[in-house]
Amino acid sequence: MLDIALWISIALFAASLMLNVFRLAIGPDLPDRILAVDTMYVNSIALIVLFGIQLNSKAYFEAALLIAMLGFVSTVAVCKYLLRGDIIE
Amino acid sequence: MPTWFYPVLEGVIAFFLVAGGIFAFIGSLGLTHLKDFYMRLHGPSKTTTLGVGCVLMASMIYFRATTGHFSFQEMLITIFLFITAPATAHLLSKAALHQKLVADIRTRNVPDQLETASEPDEANAQQTESRLP
Amino acid sequence: MTLLLIVLLPLLGALVPLMARNLPRGRLAWLTAVAPAIALGIAVFHLGDVFAGQTPQFHLPWISELGLDLALRFDGLSALFVLLILGIGLLIILYSRYYLSGEDSLARLYSFLMLFMTAMIGIVMADNLLLMWVFWELTSLTSFLLIGYWYQLSEARKGARMALTVTGAGGLALLAGILVIGHIVGSYQFDDVLAAADQIRSSELYPVVLVLVLLGAFTKSAQFPFQFWLPHAMSAPTPVSAFLHSATMVKAGVFLLARMHPILSGTDLWFYIVSFTGLATLLYGAWFALMKQDLKGVLAFSTISHLGLITLLFGFNSQMAAVAGLLHIINHATFKASLFMAAGIVDHECGTRDIRKLNGLYRYMPHTTILAMVASASMAGVPLLNGFLSKEMFFAESLDAQLLGGLSWLIPALATLGGILSVAYSLRFIHDVFFNGEPKDLPKTPHEPPRYMKLPIEILVLICLLVGILPSLVIKDLLVSASASVLAGPVPEFSLAIWHGFNVPLMMSGIALAGGVGVYALRHHLYSFQRQFRARNALLVFEANIQRLVNLAERSMDSFENGSLQRYMLWLLLTALLFVGIGLLAVPQLSGEFEQQPFDAMLLTGAVITGLAGLGTAITHRKRIVSLLMLSVVGLMTSLAFARFAAPDLALTQLAVEVVTMILLMLALFFLPQRTPKESSARRIMRDVLLASAFGVVIASLNFAILTRPVESISDFFMANAVSGGGGHNVVNVILVDFRGFDTLGEITVLGIAGLAIFKLLNRLRLFMPSSDLDGRSWSPDRHPMILATVSQTLLPLALLVSVYIFLRGHNEPGGGFIAGLVTAVAIILLYIARGVDWTQRWLRFPYQPVAAAGVLIAGLTGAGSWMFGYPFLTSSFGHFTIPVIGEIELATALLFDLGVYLTVVGATLMILANLGKLTTPHRPTKEKS
Repeated sequence: MLDIALWISIALFAASLMLNVFRLAIGPDLPDRILAVDTMYVNSIALIVLFGIQLNSKAYFEAALLIAMLGFVSTVAVCKYLLRGDIIE
Repeated sequence: MPTWFYPVLEGVIAFFLVAGGIFAFIGSLGLTHLKDFYMRLHGPSKTTTLGVGCVLMASMIYFRATTGHFSFQEMLITIFLFITAPATAHLLSKAALHQKLVADIRTRNVPDQLETASEPDEANAQQTESRLP
Repeated sequence: MTLLLIVLLPLLGALVPLMARNLPRGRLAWLTAVAPAIALGIAVFHLGDVFAGQTPQFHLPWISELGLDLALRFDGLSALFVLLILGIGLLIILYSRYYLSGEDSLARLYSFLMLFMTAMIGIVMADNLLLMWVFWELTSLTSFLLIGYWYQLSEARKGARMALTVTGAGGLALLAGILVIGHIVGSYQFDDVLAAADQIRSSELYPVVLVLVLLGAFTKSAQFPFQFWLPHAMSAPTPVSAFLHSATMVKAGVFLLARMHPILSGTDLWFYIVSFTGLATLLYGAWFALMKQDLKGVLAFSTISHLGLITLLFGFNSQMAAVAGLLHIINHATFKASLFMAAGIVDHECGTRDIRKLNGLYRYMPHTTILAMVASASMAGVPLLNGFLSKEMFFAESLDAQLLGGLSWLIPALATLGGILSVAYSLRFIHDVFFNGEPKDLPKTPHEPPRYMKLPIEILVLICLLVGILPSLVIKDLLVSASASVLAGPVPEFSLAIWHGFNVPLMMSGIALAGGVGVYALRHHLYSFQRQFRARNALLVFEANIQRLVNLAERSMDSFENGSLQRYMLWLLLTALLFVGIGLLAVPQLSGEFEQQPFDAMLLTGAVITGLAGLGTAITHRKRIVSLLMLSVVGLMTSLAFARFAAPDLALTQLAVEVVTMILLMLALFFLPQRTPKESSARRIMRDVLLASAFGVVIASLNFAILTRPVESISDFFMANAVSGGGGHNVVNVILVDFRGFDTLGEITVLGIAGLAIFKLLNRLRLFMPSSDLDGRSWSPDRHPMILATVSQTLLPLALLVSVYIFLRGHNEPGGGFIAGLVTAVAIILLYIARGVDWTQRWLRFPYQPVAAAGVLIAGLTGAGSWMFGYPFLTSSFGHFTIPVIGEIELATALLFDLGVYLTVVGATLMILANLGKLTTPHRPTKEKS
């Protein structure tokens, strides 16, 4: 049961990633693309956690942790770039 | 932990996993299908976050059951996500407003009747998209 | 040891004139002469041994691995040359004191002369071919200084450059030849090479050796077709010309022929190359010596001619010819040095060297005239003078040369022709200058030079006479011992008598003398014949050729290195493509013996997304920020792939680096033009697409081929020894901080330096800031959105906690100082983004430069700490401790080292990012009221 659930979940997240890439590609505006990339970060966290469960290993969770943190920083940086041009002022 | 508990636990985990996947998918679907940026922002910032939260929950239960330890990482990730997601959404909408993105008529925060009253011109009213003032 | 002194004393002597530069000229000259005089004394002291057949040697290991030792020998040949160099050198020192005008620095000339003397003595005394080459190139360099002594004259500079180019290039050929000899023999020691002479001559590389060595010799002694540099070296002061073109510089070339004679001569190839070059040079030089109107030009071309004669003699492959060659080296040095000095006196006293103006000087300087007459007569080969002896031997030898078969008679005939021309130009030198009417409008009224200016000439002329009249008594011993070393064996019996009875050589001499007088009488016809040729200035031709070469080089450089990065990438990729492609074509089958891993939909999705994002990066490259977003997706997918294929450390590093790079790029993008024009033509895009696809295909195939084959790699060792050797379960981290700790130390040092450099570069730099974005919207007035500010402050402690966690467990689980450092840096950068520079620096008062420096210092000291326990640098020791919650950690010196890495990364990253961010702060226009 768990395996099947895992596979369904992984497939759904992978499909989500594809949808995000679609949005990234068509835009039309920068905020859309930024949102798409940010969503990809979030979905990747879930994917890494799912890998962890699949392999029964927690070795990858730091990667998920870092994506959660660093993805936020890079999204913030791009938004700041749009708002103010200069991201550190 | 009694042995009968495991299938139940498995069921719970499976539920969270599938639910998480579905939520995330719906969020991304929203990102793809909704009409303007302000609508699209809802999908990822709420639904997808919830979906990932579900998966993290499943992982927490799973590793608590298999290793017997409470795992901090999922906790930390969850905290990070739930703190940052609103901030991201806020900043993004700020950026979008700053960029004066095209908005659907329904996201312009104008009451229906007012809108029709202010825009008597038939051609204009039919145009669903226009620049925000 | 005393041998070394002969070389070292002139070198020390080069310092003397520099220190004594303020003394009166007379005393300066005497002081300068001390060192070479002592060296000459030492050489004379050794002469007894040399004549007795011994060879004093001196050996001091220098760079033995290269076969280069400080080895000196003093055999007959060396003795002959050392006496010439030092003896004539001393006379030149005396002569220069009077020649040089008051405005020119005598000390500088002396210093250069002594340096040159050192180099020359080094060549002739070297007992190691490589050492000889070193001195050989030193003579090229020092002669450059001497020829260009009057550096204010363009003529002198160009002449010096040309001499350096030609002789230096020849020197390189010589080096190549010597290296090949070393390859054949296995040693550069002269005795070893001599012993292996047969081996060299029978080697199939012999022609290569011969041509390379001869190139060196011929360029140095101005043999045809390399003769063109020598006449232009005449722009040097006359004492320098007298020294360089009589006893030294050009003689180095014939010295090399003599030195290599026992090793390389005796073959037909040697005969053909050397003797024909010599013959051509002999005639060419003699003809132009007759044609030149410049006094020193006449001497220059006669020098070329006589060098050709010596070369021709060495080319004959006969023992007696070699003896004659040596004899002529001595004779030429004496008479040519005195002739140059006489020409210098004429130039000095009359202010011109133009033969058409110089006439009838006998009346003004009878003494000098007589000295010049004797020296000239010696050059012409008049009996009772030394030139006659060697010329007689030369004629005799030319008769014996039989290698041309039925045409062998040509050699004595052409030799006689050379003799005739030589008599003619000698006669011209005397008659045209010292007699033949009255001088025409000379700048100065000539008179006899100072007494001591003539002394060197008198001494040399006296030697000419002594050798000419009493040859056996004066130079027989020296000649025999020199011949012994040139022939490397018994010296044939020869008599140095003036009178050998009536024979063919005597007849040839007679013809030469009579013919020479006849040619001189008819010289005006020859001049008008020569005038039909367009006069070519070798200097201009040379400069033009050099210019053409430079242009060619520039053009070919431009076609490769045109400043276009795309072009460089094109060449790089094409080369890689070519080699990898060839390698892949040679592989019989792409897949190796490994089973392929199962392929699932997830992998496919990842691959598709990565590919699309990469494609998107390329397509949107003109919209920079969009391209950057695409690129970050590529980075994200790469780290997912790392995670999927069990490389968590790589995934972590990739993520951290990704974000820092993105922030850096955005900081930089802000200052770049926001619109990129369309730059590539359709053809170029097509080319790039094709190239990129081909490269992708090849690299993918290569990866596939390698990954499906078993590879012996070093990682097995690391896997096996990580725990036992480095005390950590995380192999990656153990490699970084322990196995390859030295590399890491170097890397963080570089990182720290790079940070400092960027800090220095950006310091006080203020850039223009656009006040609105691309579409003309002015920036949002909200500098620091409050929600973001609050959230980032909340996140800071969490992020720091994460980084400490990653740092502490790094040795056993994924993590480590580098990643932790980046995480800390990113957390602080977030604060900068959210709250601005002013606020952040007010609250976080830590200076980045000292932190980075402290990091490097801690890492370095940790490494040095192991010295205290008697271990090599960076030996780690460790023990395990258990800390609640975090679990078992290892406290090792490696952890301390990792702390150094952490601090350096934090310091350097913040130094770079924060300073880039600070660029605009003070002048930023903002609507916000603070």
